Amino acid sequence: MSLAELNARLAAKPAAELRVDGLSVTYNTARGPFHAVEDVGFTVPAGTNLGLVGESGCGKSTVVKALMGLLPEGTGLTGRALLDGDDILGLTDDALRDVRWNRIALITQSAMNSLDPVYSIGDQIVEAIRAHEPVGRATAWARAEEMFALVGLPAARLTEFPHMFSGGMRQRAVIAMALALNAGMLLADEPTTALDPIMQSQIMARIRGIHAHMRRSMVLVTHDIAVVAETCETTVVMYAGKVVESGPTGQVLGRPLHPYTMGLQNAFPRLPVRGAPRQPLISIPGVVPNLASPPPGCRFAGRCPFAADLCRTTPPPVAAAGPQQAACHFTDRAEEFRAAAALPETWRKMRAAA
Amino acid sequence: MSERRGEGDRATVIEAEGLKTHFQARSGIISALVGQKPKVARALDGVDVTIREREVVGLVGESGCGKSTLGMSLVRMYQPTGGRVRYRGEDITRAEGRALKDYRRQAQIIFQDPYSSLNPRLTIGQIIEEPLIIHRIGNAAERRERVARAMNLVRIPPAENVDRYPSDLSGGQRQRIAIARALVLEPKFIVADEPVSMLDVSIQASVLELIDELSRELGLAVLYISHDIATVGYICDHVAVMYLGRIVEEGPAEEILAEPLHPYTERLIAAIPRMDPAEAPERHELTGDVPSPLNVPPGCRFSSRCPFVAPLCEAVEPELSDQPGGRRVRCHIHDDGAARLRPDLARPVAGRVTHDEDVGILADAAS
Repeated sequence: MSLAELNARLAAKPAAELRVDGLSVTYNTARGPFHAVEDVGFTVPAGTNLGLVGESGCGKSTVVKALMGLLPEGTGLTGRALLDGDDILGLTDDALRDVRWNRIALITQSAMNSLDPVYSIGDQIVEAIRAHEPVGRATAWARAEEMFALVGLPAARLTEFPHMFSGGMRQRAVIAMALALNAGMLLADEPTTALDPIMQSQIMARIRGIHAHMRRSMVLVTHDIAVVAETCETTVVMYAGKVVESGPTGQVLGRPLHPYTMGLQNAFPRLPVRGAPRQPLISIPGVVPNLASPPPGCRFAGRCPFAADLCRTTPPPVAAAGPQQAACHFTDRAEEFRAAAALPETWRKMRAAA
Repeated sequence: MSERRGEGDRATVIEAEGLKTHFQARSGIISALVGQKPKVARALDGVDVTIREREVVGLVGESGCGKSTLGMSLVRMYQPTGGRVRYRGEDITRAEGRALKDYRRQAQIIFQDPYSSLNPRLTIGQIIEEPLIIHRIGNAAERRERVARAMNLVRIPPAENVDRYPSDLSGGQRQRIAIARALVLEPKFIVADEPVSMLDVSIQASVLELIDELSRELGLAVLYISHDIATVGYICDHVAVMYLGRIVEEGPAEEILAEPLHPYTERLIAAIPRMDPAEAPERHELTGDVPSPLNVPPGCRFSSRCPFVAPLCEAVEPELSDQPGGRRVRCHIHDDGAARLRPDLARPVAGRVTHDEDVGILADAAS
């Protein structure tokens, strides 16, 4: 198969749709079961980007691992993840081989660890292409050169090894590799964390470009809500293993219903506006509960300035306001909470009580 | 976060003048035999900085620009190779032995990663006590009291925490312990090297707030190093932007964040993702990476990546020129001194893009 034929064949792949439903993941640890993810559900319509946000330990990376079939053996896994209608959870190794890279590709968090140090980067991309497409080495190499051009790396550097690349270049190489087979669904797990802002902005410009140029679907996992605001149509906010809020990005980040989302929003550093009073930066007091023994009611109750007795005893129902949904007992008071959450005193009182 | 008082009444704590820290690259035996000089990395190449009591100075720039080298040189973890560092008027650039140890009691550093900067085998109490033992301060009871005082300062209740281990604490709590360890010696000057970049956004604010409060309450001079120029706006009075071993712009934080003059500062600020996508500015991508400090380009150090580069920039390095509002900037666009000396070379013009990176079809499609 020639390069033109290969490109035409890959370009014909449609963007994928992903429906995750009732996903729960339980790690078995020496100290007993650990419910990292509980009853998570979301839908990525074909050709759109979904942002999965939350702080460390909220289970967002576990969701990615479950989707890629990367969880350790013996991990409890329930629910469904339908990729264009096919359930991709708990597949056998053989079946997974057909799905990974080909239909769903991963841009990992630490580019250093996801490249093999003893093979040249070109060889690694060629290997991924040839594992899925019946092409010769020369054709696969030519495809790899095109992918490098796409992410702004010189083709001559394909022969180099990972250690010869800077952090930002490695991250771009990983993106090139994830794009090589034009999978319908991309999972990007913290693709820019630990990079400085200039590099982050360059990488995100490229990732956004993929979306516009190739019409792929993407799940972007990050703790940076501004990156989500600039990139994703849909936002899903996770806290302590559960989805607390989801919906169209403009609504979730613009008019949040859940106090946790309000907290995240106020904790985000903004540029000062000259003349205007400086907006206070407000942190969310307390720490994420231990998921080995999660609290009986709302998991955010311990850190929530608006928590009532009901919140500490009864898990909140999911309330919907149009396409926006939040797991909170008091979504009807969201307007009032938003005003209070913007004041540092509201959260400071919590800290004093904690 | 805070209202700062005027600068006049505050004493200068630390002052660097033309500070240089060059590192010699490793050279092979053969090149040594043929008499080749080993290459020199000019990590820090002539920097002036002054920090007063109760002042937080922000130092920003991307990875590899020399920010950390400046921090480490100021606390004398690195030996500067040129220039001068004065601590309360006393030259400590080449202090040794006893004098150096005394200085190190006064100048402390907080590192980026609270997961690797705390010894996992020591308890919190032991970690904070260690500097006191090294500097032979007090007996066991006095030390215990000082440890408790330092823990109270960082809002970690001593009673229930001294005997815990770092693994029992969250990232934000660990960073507070690292700050307590720096404070226990009652220093006057602290370098905080990316203290929040490893922490979740939800707790970054509390650590920044703590640094801000400590500087005011204890009268500390703080150098806050960060690649995130947005956080700098919250706690700093004064900001210095570094590029390839030199300061390219400095001045009052609010002025610089609101209206950057140097094209590099402009780009740093534009790179920050915005919560409201409508506010996102047009972004000129910078070409490539920061050049290697082993191979500093002639002329303006930023010329190889600057969108407004002109022939003058590639030939003559601009000086730091005074600008209105107490700012200084190192750019030919804002200073015509060099242009008058070299009228034969074209001068760069603000806003006239001469050099835009080919960002590839992807970025084109995105814009």
